[in-house]
Amino acid sequence: MKMALSLTNVCKRFGGVTALDGVSFDVAHGELLGLVGPNGAGKSVLVNVVSGFYPLTTGSILVDGRDVTYAPPHHFGRLGIARTFQNIRLFKRMSVLENVLVAFPRHVRSPFGSILRWNRRAEIDHALALLSQMRLVEKADQSAGSLAYGEARRLEIARALATEPKLLLLDEPAAGMNDRETDELRADISDLRSMLDAIVLIEHNVEFLRGLSDRLVVLDYGRMIADGVPDIVLKIPAVVEAYLGAAEDA
Amino acid sequence: MIQDYLFFTGINVLLAWSVYIILMSGSLSFANGGFMALGAYATGYLTTTYGLDLWLVIPPVALLAALFGALVSLPALRTRGVYLILVTIGISICMGVGIESSEALGGVKGMGGLVGTEPWHVFVLVGVVGLFLLIVSYTPLQRILDAVREDEYVARSLGINTTYVKVVSFGAGAALAATSGALYAHYLIFIRPEHFNVMMSLFMVLYVILGGVNNLWGAALGATIMTLAPEFIRGMAEWRPTVFGLIIILLLLVRPQGLLAFRTRTARAGTRVAKWVQGKLVPGGAAS
Ligand SMILES: Nc1ncnc2c1ncn2[C@@H]1O[C@H](COP(=O)(O)OP(=O)(O)O)[C@@H](O)[C@H]1O
Ligand SMILES: [Mg+2]
Repeated sequence: MKMALSLTNVCKRFGGVTALDGVSFDVAHGELLGLVGPNGAGKSVLVNVVSGFYPLTTGSILVDGRDVTYAPPHHFGRLGIARTFQNIRLFKRMSVLENVLVAFPRHVRSPFGSILRWNRRAEIDHALALLSQMRLVEKADQSAGSLAYGEARRLEIARALATEPKLLLLDEPAAGMNDRETDELRADISDLRSMLDAIVLIEHNVEFLRGLSDRLVVLDYGRMIADGVPDIVLKIPAVVEAYLGAAEDA
Repeated sequence: MIQDYLFFTGINVLLAWSVYIILMSGSLSFANGGFMALGAYATGYLTTTYGLDLWLVIPPVALLAALFGALVSLPALRTRGVYLILVTIGISICMGVGIESSEALGGVKGMGGLVGTEPWHVFVLVGVVGLFLLIVSYTPLQRILDAVREDEYVARSLGINTTYVKVVSFGAGAALAATSGALYAHYLIFIRPEHFNVMMSLFMVLYVILGGVNNLWGAALGATIMTLAPEFIRGMAEWRPTVFGLIIILLLLVRPQGLLAFRTRTARAGTRVAKWVQGKLVPGGAAS
Protein backbone atom coordinates (compact mmCIF):
# COMPACT_ATOMS: atom_id res chain seq x y z
CA MET A 1 0.00 0.00 0.00
CA LYS A 2 1.25 3.49 -0.82
CA MET A 3 1.99 5.57 2.23
CA ALA A 4 1.52 9.30 2.58
CA LEU A 5 5.12 9.47 3.76
CA SER A 6 7.70 6.77 4.01
CA LEU A 7 11.16 7.20 5.49
CA THR A 8 13.74 4.47 5.11
CA ASN A 9 16.94 4.52 7.12
CA VAL A 10 17.22 8.30 7.01
CA CYS A 11 20.54 9.66 8.28
CA LYS A 12 21.56 13.27 8.53
CA ARG A 13 24.99 14.35 9.68
CA PHE A 14 26.32 17.86 10.18
CA GLY A 15 30.08 17.40 10.22
CA GLY A 16 30.59 15.27 13.31
CA VAL A 17 27.04 15.65 14.64
CA THR A 18 24.64 12.88 13.72
CA ALA A 19 21.25 14.56 13.96
CA LEU A 20 19.29 11.65 12.46
CA ASP A 21 20.57 8.14 12.75
CA GLY A 22 18.74 5.53 10.69
CA VAL A 23 15.18 6.74 11.11
CA SER A 24 12.52 4.63 9.38
CA PHE A 25 8.79 5.01 9.67
CA ASP A 26 5.68 5.41 7.55
CA VAL A 27 2.76 7.75 7.80
CA ALA A 28 -0.44 6.26 6.42
CA HIS A 29 -3.09 8.18 4.52
CA GLY A 30 -5.42 9.96 6.88
CA GLU A 31 -3.07 9.61 9.80
CA LEU A 32 -1.99 12.23 12.30
CA LEU A 33 1.43 11.25 13.53
CA GLY A 34 2.90 12.81 16.65
CA LEU A 35 6.66 13.20 16.65
CA VAL A 36 8.07 13.65 20.13
CA GLY A 37 11.40 13.63 21.86
CA PRO A 38 13.52 15.81 24.12
CA ASN A 39 15.18 18.98 22.89
CA GLY A 40 17.92 18.29 20.39
CA ALA A 41 16.49 14.88 19.52
CA GLY A 42 16.42 15.71 15.81
CA LYS A 43 12.71 16.47 15.33
CA SER A 44 13.24 19.77 13.52
CA VAL A 45 16.02 18.26 11.44
CA LEU A 46 13.58 15.57 10.38
CA VAL A 47 11.08 18.20 9.25
CA ASN A 48 13.85 20.04 7.44
CA VAL A 49 14.87 16.90 5.62
CA VAL A 50 11.32 15.91 4.67
CA SER A 51 10.53 19.43 3.44
CA GLY A 52 13.66 19.66 1.31
CA PHE A 53 15.51 22.20 3.43
CA TYR A 54 18.45 19.90 4.03
CA PRO A 55 19.59 17.16 1.70
CA LEU A 56 19.85 13.93 3.64
CA THR A 57 23.12 12.10 4.10
CA THR A 58 21.80 8.59 3.39
CA GLY A 59 18.44 6.88 3.21
CA SER A 60 15.34 7.62 1.18
CA ILE A 61 12.08 9.54 1.40
CA LEU A 62 8.91 8.58 -0.45
CA VAL A 63 5.93 10.88 -0.58
CA ASP A 64 2.76 9.20 -1.74
CA GLY A 65 4.93 6.48 -3.28
CA ARG A 66 7.15 8.96 -5.10
CA ASP A 67 10.86 9.05 -4.38
CA VAL A 68 11.78 12.62 -3.49
CA THR A 69 15.16 11.84 -1.94
CA TYR A 70 17.06 13.71 -4.63
CA ALA A 71 14.36 16.16 -5.70
CA PRO A 72 15.39 19.83 -5.88
CA PRO A 73 14.23 21.78 -2.80
CA HIS A 74 11.40 23.66 -4.52
CA HIS A 75 9.83 20.41 -5.71
CA PHE A 76 8.91 19.37 -2.19
CA GLY A 77 6.33 22.10 -1.90
CA ARG A 78 4.96 21.29 -5.34
CA LEU A 79 4.65 17.62 -4.45
CA GLY A 80 2.30 18.52 -1.66
CA ILE A 81 4.54 18.90 1.39
CA ALA A 82 3.95 22.00 3.47
CA ARG A 83 5.42 22.95 6.79
CA THR A 84 5.57 25.47 9.58
CA PHE A 85 8.64 26.56 11.50
CA GLN A 86 9.60 26.20 15.12
CA ASN A 87 11.09 29.70 14.86
CA ILE A 88 8.31 31.54 13.08
CA ARG A 89 9.32 32.53 9.57
CA LEU A 90 6.59 34.67 8.11
CA PHE A 91 7.13 37.30 5.44
CA LYS A 92 6.94 40.10 7.99
CA ARG A 93 6.90 42.96 5.52
CA MET A 94 3.79 41.60 3.82
CA SER A 95 0.25 41.74 5.08
CA VAL A 96 -1.43 38.72 6.63
CA LEU A 97 -3.49 38.28 3.47
CA GLU A 98 -0.43 38.48 1.24
CA ASN A 99 1.33 35.82 3.28
CA VAL A 100 -1.44 33.44 2.26
CA LEU A 101 -1.79 34.66 -1.34
CA VAL A 102 1.91 34.27 -2.00
CA ALA A 103 1.69 30.52 -1.52
CA PHE A 104 -1.04 29.76 -4.06
CA PRO A 105 0.30 27.10 -6.44
CA ARG A 106 -0.82 28.85 -9.62
CA HIS A 107 1.55 31.75 -9.05
CA VAL A 108 4.27 29.78 -7.33
CA ARG A 109 4.65 27.52 -10.35
CA SER A 110 4.90 30.28 -12.94
CA PRO A 111 6.00 33.45 -11.17
CA PHE A 112 6.56 35.50 -14.31
CA GLY A 113 3.32 34.38 -15.88
CA SER A 114 1.66 35.90 -12.86
CA ILE A 115 2.30 39.40 -14.27
CA LEU A 116 -0.73 38.70 -16.40
CA ARG A 117 -2.80 37.38 -13.52
CA TRP A 118 -4.30 40.03 -11.34
CA ASN A 119 -5.62 39.49 -7.88
CA ARG A 120 -8.90 37.86 -8.58
CA ARG A 121 -11.64 38.33 -6.07
CA ALA A 122 -12.10 34.56 -5.91
CA GLU A 123 -8.49 34.23 -4.91
CA ILE A 124 -8.79 36.78 -2.15
CA ASP A 125 -11.90 34.99 -0.92
CA HIS A 126 -10.05 31.70 -0.94
CA ALA A 127 -7.29 33.29 1.13
CA LEU A 128 -9.87 34.77 3.49
CA ALA A 129 -11.43 31.33 3.86
CA LEU A 130 -8.10 29.92 4.96
CA LEU A 131 -7.55 32.86 7.31
CA SER A 132 -11.03 32.44 8.70
CA GLN A 133 -10.31 28.78 9.33
CA MET A 134 -7.26 29.80 11.37
CA ARG A 135 -9.30 32.56 13.10
CA LEU A 136 -7.29 35.37 11.53
CA VAL A 137 -9.68 36.86 9.03
CA GLU A 138 -10.08 40.13 10.96
CA LYS A 139 -6.34 40.66 10.71
CA ALA A 140 -6.20 40.17 6.93
CA ASP A 141 -4.97 43.65 6.08
CA GLN A 142 -2.60 43.98 9.02
CA SER A 143 1.12 43.62 8.63
CA ALA A 144 2.27 40.08 9.40
CA GLY A 145 5.00 41.58 11.55
CA SER A 146 2.39 43.07 13.88
CA LEU A 147 0.78 39.74 14.85
CA ALA A 148 0.95 38.36 18.34
CA TYR A 149 2.93 35.19 18.81
CA GLY A 150 0.03 32.75 18.70
CA GLU A 151 -1.50 34.51 15.71
CA ALA A 152 1.78 34.35 13.83
CA ARG A 153 1.88 30.59 14.43
CA ARG A 154 -1.63 30.23 13.04
CA LEU A 155 -0.76 32.35 10.02
CA GLU A 156 2.09 29.98 9.27
CA ILE A 157 -0.45 27.18 9.17
CA ALA A 158 -2.77 29.20 6.90
CA ARG A 159 0.14 29.90 4.55
CA ALA A 160 1.06 26.22 4.51
CA LEU A 161 -2.55 25.32 3.68
CA ALA A 162 -2.51 27.76 0.77
CA THR A 163 -0.02 25.51 -1.02
CA GLU A 164 -2.79 22.89 -1.17
CA PRO A 165 -0.68 20.30 0.58
CA LYS A 166 -1.28 16.62 1.06
CA LEU A 167 1.16 16.32 3.92
CA LEU A 168 1.48 19.00 6.58
CA LEU A 169 4.46 19.13 8.93
CA LEU A 170 3.89 21.22 12.06
CA ASP A 171 7.01 21.99 14.08
CA GLU A 172 5.95 22.76 17.65
CA PRO A 173 2.93 24.86 16.67
CA ALA A 174 1.89 25.36 20.29
CA ALA A 175 5.28 26.58 21.50
CA GLY A 176 4.93 29.82 23.43
CA MET A 177 1.13 29.69 23.55
CA ASN A 178 -0.84 29.93 26.78
CA ASP A 179 -3.25 27.17 27.88
CA ARG A 180 -6.31 28.64 26.23
CA GLU A 181 -4.52 29.25 22.94
CA THR A 182 -3.11 25.74 23.08
CA ASP A 183 -6.56 24.21 23.51
CA GLU A 184 -7.92 26.28 20.62
CA LEU A 185 -5.01 25.27 18.42
CA ARG A 186 -5.66 21.65 19.27
CA ALA A 187 -9.21 22.03 17.98
CA ASP A 188 -7.93 23.83 14.86
CA ILE A 189 -5.53 21.02 14.06
CA SER A 190 -8.24 18.49 14.61
CA ASP A 191 -10.39 20.35 12.06
CA LEU A 192 -7.55 20.35 9.52
CA ARG A 193 -7.52 16.60 9.28
CA SER A 194 -10.33 16.50 6.78
CA MET A 195 -8.42 18.84 4.43
CA LEU A 196 -5.19 16.89 4.45
CA ASP A 197 -3.95 13.50 3.55
CA ALA A 198 -1.68 13.30 6.60
CA ILE A 199 -0.21 15.43 9.35
CA VAL A 200 3.07 15.11 11.18
CA LEU A 201 2.91 17.09 14.39
CA ILE A 202 5.96 17.79 16.49
CA GLU A 203 5.21 18.63 20.04
CA HIS A 204 7.35 18.71 23.10
CA ASN A 205 4.36 18.43 25.39
CA VAL A 206 2.99 14.88 25.11
CA GLU A 207 -0.30 15.82 26.76
CA PHE A 208 -1.06 17.94 23.71
CA LEU A 209 -0.75 14.87 21.52
CA ARG A 210 -2.65 12.44 23.69
CA GLY A 211 -6.04 11.93 22.12
CA LEU A 212 -5.07 14.02 19.08
CA SER A 213 -2.53 11.82 17.36
CA ASP A 214 -3.19 8.35 16.05
CA ARG A 215 0.38 7.28 16.54
CA LEU A 216 3.56 8.51 18.18
CA VAL A 217 7.13 8.27 16.98
CA VAL A 218 9.72 9.04 19.63
CA LEU A 219 13.17 10.31 18.77
CA ASP A 220 16.12 10.54 21.12
CA TYR A 221 19.60 11.58 20.02
CA GLY A 222 18.58 11.13 16.38
CA ARG A 223 17.41 7.56 16.87
CA MET A 224 13.89 6.28 16.84
CA ILE A 225 13.23 4.72 20.21
CA ALA A 226 9.52 4.02 19.86
CA ASP A 227 6.69 3.92 17.31
CA GLY A 228 3.13 3.07 18.20
CA VAL A 229 -0.19 4.01 19.78
CA PRO A 230 0.25 6.92 22.24
CA ASP A 231 -1.00 5.18 25.36
CA ILE A 232 1.38 2.29 24.89
CA VAL A 233 4.37 4.31 23.67
CA LEU A 234 4.21 6.68 26.62
CA LYS A 235 4.57 3.74 29.01
CA ILE A 236 7.75 2.37 27.40
CA PRO A 237 10.55 2.77 29.99
CA ALA A 238 13.05 4.19 27.46
CA VAL A 239 10.53 6.89 26.47
CA VAL A 240 9.73 7.74 30.06
CA GLU A 241 13.43 7.96 30.79
CA ALA A 242 14.17 10.18 27.77
CA TYR A 243 11.39 12.49 28.89
CA LEU A 244 12.19 12.53 32.57
CA GLY A 245 15.82 13.21 31.69
CA ALA A 246 14.72 16.14 29.54
CA ALA A 247 12.41 17.40 32.26
CA GLU A 248 15.25 17.43 34.75
CA ASP A 249 17.41 19.40 32.32
CA ALA A 250 14.73 21.99 31.91
CA MET B 1 22.15 72.90 -20.44
CA ILE B 2 18.86 71.94 -18.88
CA GLN B 3 18.38 69.33 -21.58
CA ASP B 4 21.59 67.59 -20.56
CA TYR B 5 20.55 67.50 -16.92
CA LEU B 6 17.23 66.00 -17.78
CA PHE B 7 18.88 63.46 -20.03
CA PHE B 8 21.40 62.37 -17.40
CA THR B 9 18.70 62.28 -14.77
CA GLY B 10 16.64 59.98 -17.00
CA ILE B 11 19.62 57.71 -17.66
CA ASN B 12 20.42 57.53 -13.97
CA VAL B 13 16.82 56.72 -13.11
CA LEU B 14 16.95 53.84 -15.61
CA LEU B 15 20.25 52.65 -14.17
CA ALA B 16 18.89 52.84 -10.64
CA TRP B 17 15.92 50.76 -11.77
CA SER B 18 18.28 48.24 -13.35
CA VAL B 19 19.80 47.75 -9.89
CA TYR B 20 16.34 47.77 -8.28
CA ILE B 21 15.05 45.04 -10.62
CA ILE B 22 17.86 42.76 -9.49
CA LEU B 23 17.39 43.79 -5.87
CA MET B 24 13.70 42.87 -6.10
CA SER B 25 14.75 39.23 -5.96
CA GLY B 26 17.26 39.92 -3.20
CA SER B 27 20.64 40.37 -4.90
CA LEU B 28 22.68 43.54 -4.69
CA SER B 29 24.47 43.91 -8.02
CA PHE B 30 27.58 45.97 -8.51
CA ALA B 31 27.89 44.54 -12.02
CA ASN B 32 25.47 46.94 -13.70
CA GLY B 33 28.24 49.33 -14.76
CA GLY B 34 29.66 46.35 -16.63
CA PHE B 35 26.29 45.56 -18.24
CA MET B 36 25.98 49.24 -19.15
CA ALA B 37 29.41 49.13 -20.79
CA LEU B 38 28.40 46.03 -22.70
CA GLY B 39 25.36 47.84 -24.06
CA ALA B 40 27.28 51.01 -24.89
CA TYR B 41 30.19 49.33 -26.63
CA ALA B 42 28.29 46.56 -28.40
CA THR B 43 25.77 48.97 -29.90
CA GLY B 44 28.49 51.56 -30.53
CA TYR B 45 30.58 49.03 -32.42
CA LEU B 46 27.64 47.96 -34.56
CA THR B 47 26.45 51.49 -35.37
CA THR B 48 29.88 52.93 -36.13
CA THR B 49 31.57 49.98 -37.86
CA TYR B 50 28.59 48.64 -39.79
CA GLY B 51 26.47 51.75 -39.92
CA LEU B 52 23.52 49.87 -38.45
CA ASP B 53 20.55 51.72 -37.05
CA LEU B 54 20.68 52.25 -33.27
CA TRP B 55 17.09 51.07 -32.80
CA LEU B 56 17.84 47.94 -34.77
CA VAL B 57 20.82 46.97 -32.63
CA ILE B 58 19.46 47.79 -29.17
CA PRO B 59 17.06 44.80 -28.90
CA PRO B 60 19.58 42.07 -29.78
CA VAL B 61 22.25 43.72 -27.61
CA ALA B 62 19.80 43.97 -24.71
CA LEU B 63 19.01 40.30 -25.20
CA LEU B 64 22.72 39.49 -25.26
CA ALA B 65 23.18 41.44 -22.03
CA ALA B 66 20.25 39.58 -20.47
CA LEU B 67 21.85 36.24 -21.36
CA PHE B 68 25.21 37.47 -20.09
CA GLY B 69 23.62 38.72 -16.88
CA ALA B 70 21.78 35.45 -16.38
CA LEU B 71 24.96 33.51 -17.07
CA VAL B 72 27.14 35.40 -14.61
CA SER B 73 24.39 35.33 -12.00
CA LEU B 74 24.45 31.54 -11.92
CA PRO B 75 27.80 31.24 -10.16
CA ALA B 76 27.21 34.55 -8.40
CA LEU B 77 23.97 33.34 -6.82
CA ARG B 78 25.72 30.38 -5.28
CA THR B 79 27.57 32.85 -3.12
CA ARG B 80 25.84 35.05 -0.60
CA GLY B 81 26.00 38.44 1.02
CA VAL B 82 29.36 40.08 0.76
CA TYR B 83 30.70 37.38 -1.58
CA LEU B 84 27.97 38.04 -4.13
CA ILE B 85 28.87 41.73 -3.94
CA LEU B 86 32.54 40.94 -4.57
CA VAL B 87 31.69 38.71 -7.53
CA THR B 88 29.58 41.43 -9.12
CA ILE B 89 32.32 44.04 -8.52
CA GLY B 90 34.68 41.62 -10.24
CA ILE B 91 32.38 41.50 -13.27
CA SER B 92 32.45 45.31 -13.52
CA ILE B 93 36.24 45.37 -13.31
CA CYS B 94 36.69 42.58 -15.88
CA MET B 95 34.40 44.37 -18.29
CA GLY B 96 36.44 47.56 -18.00
CA VAL B 97 39.75 45.78 -18.42
CA GLY B 98 38.39 43.82 -21.38
CA ILE B 99 37.35 47.00 -23.17
CA GLU B 100 40.61 48.79 -22.39
CA SER B 101 42.59 46.01 -23.98
CA SER B 102 40.40 45.70 -27.06
CA GLU B 103 41.73 47.38 -30.21
CA ALA B 104 38.41 47.07 -32.00
CA LEU B 105 36.61 48.96 -29.23
CA GLY B 106 39.17 51.76 -29.16
CA GLY B 107 40.91 50.60 -25.98
CA VAL B 108 41.78 53.34 -23.48
CA LYS B 109 41.51 55.95 -26.24
CA GLY B 110 37.77 55.46 -26.46
CA MET B 111 35.18 55.14 -29.18
CA GLY B 112 33.72 58.09 -31.04
CA GLY B 113 31.11 59.01 -33.60
CA LEU B 114 28.17 57.76 -31.60
CA VAL B 115 24.97 59.60 -32.38
CA GLY B 116 21.27 59.00 -32.52
CA THR B 117 19.87 59.43 -29.00
CA GLU B 118 17.51 62.32 -28.29
CA PRO B 119 16.58 63.12 -24.67
CA TRP B 120 12.94 62.22 -25.33
CA HIS B 121 13.97 58.67 -26.18
CA VAL B 122 15.17 58.33 -22.60
CA PHE B 123 12.04 59.95 -21.19
CA VAL B 124 9.85 57.51 -23.11
CA LEU B 125 11.88 54.60 -21.78
CA VAL B 126 11.62 55.96 -18.23
CA GLY B 127 7.86 56.10 -18.71
CA VAL B 128 7.61 52.58 -20.13
CA VAL B 129 9.86 50.95 -17.53
CA GLY B 130 8.23 52.91 -14.71
CA LEU B 131 4.76 51.89 -15.86
CA PHE B 132 5.87 48.27 -16.12
CA LEU B 133 7.32 48.31 -12.59
CA LEU B 134 4.19 50.01 -11.31
CA ILE B 135 1.97 47.33 -12.83
CA VAL B 136 4.20 44.58 -11.46
CA SER B 137 3.89 46.06 -7.97
CA TYR B 138 0.19 45.10 -7.97
CA THR B 139 0.58 41.59 -9.34
CA PRO B 140 1.31 38.25 -7.68
CA LEU B 141 4.81 38.46 -9.17
CA GLN B 142 5.66 41.30 -6.79
CA ARG B 143 4.70 39.11 -3.83
CA ILE B 144 6.78 36.25 -5.09
CA LEU B 145 9.78 38.53 -5.55
CA ASP B 146 9.23 39.97 -2.07
CA ALA B 147 9.09 36.46 -0.65
CA VAL B 148 12.31 35.44 -2.38
CA ARG B 149 13.98 38.59 -1.14
CA GLU B 150 12.76 38.31 2.44
CA ASP B 151 13.35 34.61 3.03
CA GLU B 152 14.66 32.65 0.10
CA TYR B 153 14.50 29.32 1.92
CA VAL B 154 10.88 29.69 2.95
CA ALA B 155 10.00 30.86 -0.55
CA ARG B 156 11.60 27.72 -1.93
CA SER B 157 9.73 25.50 0.49
CA LEU B 158 6.47 26.97 -0.81
CA GLY B 159 7.47 25.65 -4.23
CA ILE B 160 9.03 28.77 -5.74
CA ASN B 161 12.00 28.06 -7.98
CA THR B 162 14.09 30.78 -6.38
CA THR B 163 17.13 30.26 -8.61
CA TYR B 164 15.03 30.77 -11.71
CA VAL B 165 13.42 33.90 -10.26
CA LYS B 166 16.79 35.37 -9.37
CA VAL B 167 18.42 34.50 -12.68
CA VAL B 168 15.58 36.07 -14.67
CA SER B 169 15.64 39.22 -12.56
CA PHE B 170 19.41 39.45 -13.02
CA GLY B 171 18.94 39.10 -16.76
CA ALA B 172 16.21 41.74 -16.84
CA GLY B 173 18.32 44.19 -14.83
CA ALA B 174 21.31 43.57 -17.11
CA ALA B 175 19.18 44.17 -20.21
CA LEU B 176 17.94 47.48 -18.84
CA ALA B 177 21.46 48.58 -17.85
CA ALA B 178 22.71 47.69 -21.34
CA THR B 179 19.87 49.57 -23.02
CA SER B 180 20.60 52.61 -20.87
CA GLY B 181 24.27 52.27 -21.78
CA ALA B 182 23.42 52.25 -25.47
CA LEU B 183 21.30 55.40 -25.18
CA TYR B 184 23.92 57.09 -23.02
CA ALA B 185 26.74 56.32 -25.45
CA HIS B 186 24.84 57.58 -28.49
CA TYR B 187 24.16 60.85 -26.72
CA LEU B 188 27.70 61.43 -25.50
CA ILE B 189 29.14 60.87 -29.02
CA PHE B 190 32.43 59.77 -27.45
CA ILE B 191 32.86 57.13 -24.76
CA ARG B 192 35.82 55.81 -22.81
CA PRO B 193 36.12 52.79 -20.53
CA GLU B 194 36.25 54.97 -17.41
CA HIS B 195 32.70 56.13 -18.07
CA PHE B 196 31.67 52.66 -16.95
CA ASN B 197 34.09 51.94 -14.13
CA VAL B 198 33.29 50.45 -10.76
CA MET B 199 32.31 53.89 -9.45
CA MET B 200 29.47 53.94 -11.96
CA SER B 201 28.20 50.63 -10.56
CA LEU B 202 28.57 51.98 -7.05
CA PHE B 203 26.57 55.13 -7.83
CA MET B 204 23.66 53.14 -9.25
CA VAL B 205 23.49 51.11 -6.05
CA LEU B 206 23.71 54.28 -3.97
CA TYR B 207 20.77 55.86 -5.81
CA VAL B 208 18.63 52.90 -4.82
CA ILE B 209 19.81 52.65 -1.23
CA LEU B 210 19.47 56.38 -0.60
CA GLY B 211 16.09 56.57 -2.31
CA GLY B 212 14.63 53.44 -0.72
CA VAL B 213 14.85 49.80 -1.72
CA ASN B 214 11.21 48.76 -1.37
CA ASN B 215 9.52 50.53 -4.25
CA LEU B 216 10.23 51.90 -7.71
CA TRP B 217 9.83 55.53 -6.56
CA GLY B 218 12.75 55.38 -4.15
CA ALA B 219 15.24 54.43 -6.85
CA ALA B 220 13.89 57.16 -9.15
CA LEU B 221 13.99 59.81 -6.44
CA GLY B 222 17.46 58.78 -5.30
CA ALA B 223 18.80 58.96 -8.85
CA THR B 224 17.15 62.33 -9.46
CA ILE B 225 18.45 63.94 -6.29
CA MET B 226 21.93 62.59 -6.67
CA THR B 227 22.10 63.73 -10.30
CA LEU B 228 20.68 67.21 -9.82
CA ALA B 229 21.78 68.20 -6.30
CA PRO B 230 25.48 68.54 -7.09
CA GLU B 231 24.52 70.78 -10.03
CA PHE B 232 23.10 73.40 -7.69
CA ILE B 233 26.58 74.32 -6.61
CA ARG B 234 27.88 74.94 -10.09
CA GLY B 235 30.86 77.19 -10.32
CA MET B 236 32.50 75.34 -7.49
CA ALA B 237 33.36 72.33 -9.61
CA GLU B 238 36.08 71.21 -7.26
CA TRP B 239 33.55 70.91 -4.42
CA ARG B 240 31.11 68.70 -6.26
CA PRO B 241 32.50 65.33 -5.20
CA THR B 242 32.60 66.61 -1.62
CA VAL B 243 28.98 67.71 -1.74
CA PHE B 244 28.05 64.39 -3.28
CA GLY B 245 29.78 62.57 -0.44
CA LEU B 246 28.18 64.79 2.18
CA ILE B 247 24.70 64.18 0.79
CA ILE B 248 25.29 60.43 1.00
CA ILE B 249 26.47 60.62 4.61
CA LEU B 250 23.66 62.96 5.59
CA LEU B 251 20.95 60.82 4.03
CA LEU B 252 22.31 57.64 5.55
CA LEU B 253 22.38 59.27 8.97
CA VAL B 254 18.95 60.86 8.77
CA ARG B 255 17.09 58.15 6.85
CA PRO B 256 19.03 54.90 6.81
CA GLN B 257 15.95 53.15 5.43
CA GLY B 258 16.00 55.40 2.36
CA LEU B 259 13.88 58.41 1.51
CA LEU B 260 10.84 56.41 0.42
CA ALA B 261 10.83 53.22 2.43
CA PHE B 262 7.20 52.17 2.05
CA ARG B 263 6.14 48.96 0.40
CA THR B 264 2.97 48.84 -1.70
CA ARG B 265 0.46 46.13 -0.80
CA THR B 266 -0.11 43.80 -3.74
CA ALA B 267 -3.64 43.02 -2.58
CA ARG B 268 -6.15 44.11 0.02
CA ALA B 269 -9.14 42.41 1.53
CA GLY B 270 -10.69 45.77 2.44
CA THR B 271 -14.42 45.60 2.99
CA ARG B 272 -14.52 41.89 2.28
CA VAL B 273 -13.09 41.28 5.74
CA ALA B 274 -16.25 42.67 7.30
CA LYS B 275 -18.37 40.34 5.19
CA TRP B 276 -16.38 37.38 6.45
CA VAL B 277 -16.60 38.53 10.01
CA GLN B 278 -20.37 38.92 9.75
CA GLY B 279 -20.51 35.40 8.39
CA LYS B 280 -21.99 36.41 5.05
CA LEU B 281 -19.39 34.30 3.33
CA VAL B 282 -18.77 30.84 4.68
CA PRO B 283 -15.36 29.16 4.78
CA GLY B 284 -14.95 26.79 1.90
CA GLY B 285 -17.93 28.21 0.05
CA ALA B 286 -15.88 30.68 -1.96
CA ALA B 287 -12.84 28.47 -2.38
CA SER B 288 -12.03 28.25 -6.06
N1 LIG C 1 22.09 23.30 10.56
C1 LIG C 1 22.65 22.56 11.54
N2 LIG C 1 24.00 22.44 11.60
C2 LIG C 1 24.57 21.69 12.58
N3 LIG C 1 23.90 21.02 13.51
C3 LIG C 1 22.56 21.10 13.50
C4 LIG C 1 21.87 21.87 12.51
N4 LIG C 1 20.55 21.77 12.74
C5 LIG C 1 20.41 20.98 13.82
N5 LIG C 1 21.62 20.57 14.27
C6 LIG C 1 21.84 19.68 15.41
O1 LIG C 1 21.00 18.57 15.27
C7 LIG C 1 20.50 18.15 16.52
C8 LIG C 1 19.00 18.05 16.49
O2 LIG C 1 18.44 19.35 16.46
P1 LIG C 1 16.88 19.62 16.28
O3 LIG C 1 16.34 18.78 15.20
O4 LIG C 1 16.72 21.08 16.14
O5 LIG C 1 16.28 19.17 17.67
P2 LIG C 1 14.76 19.18 18.13
O6 LIG C 1 14.38 17.74 18.29
O7 LIG C 1 14.76 19.88 19.45
O8 LIG C 1 13.96 19.88 17.11
C9 LIG C 1 21.02 19.13 17.55
O9 LIG C 1 22.15 18.56 18.20
C10 LIG C 1 21.43 20.32 16.73
O10 LIG C 1 22.50 21.00 17.31
MG1 LIG D 1 12.98 21.58 17.12
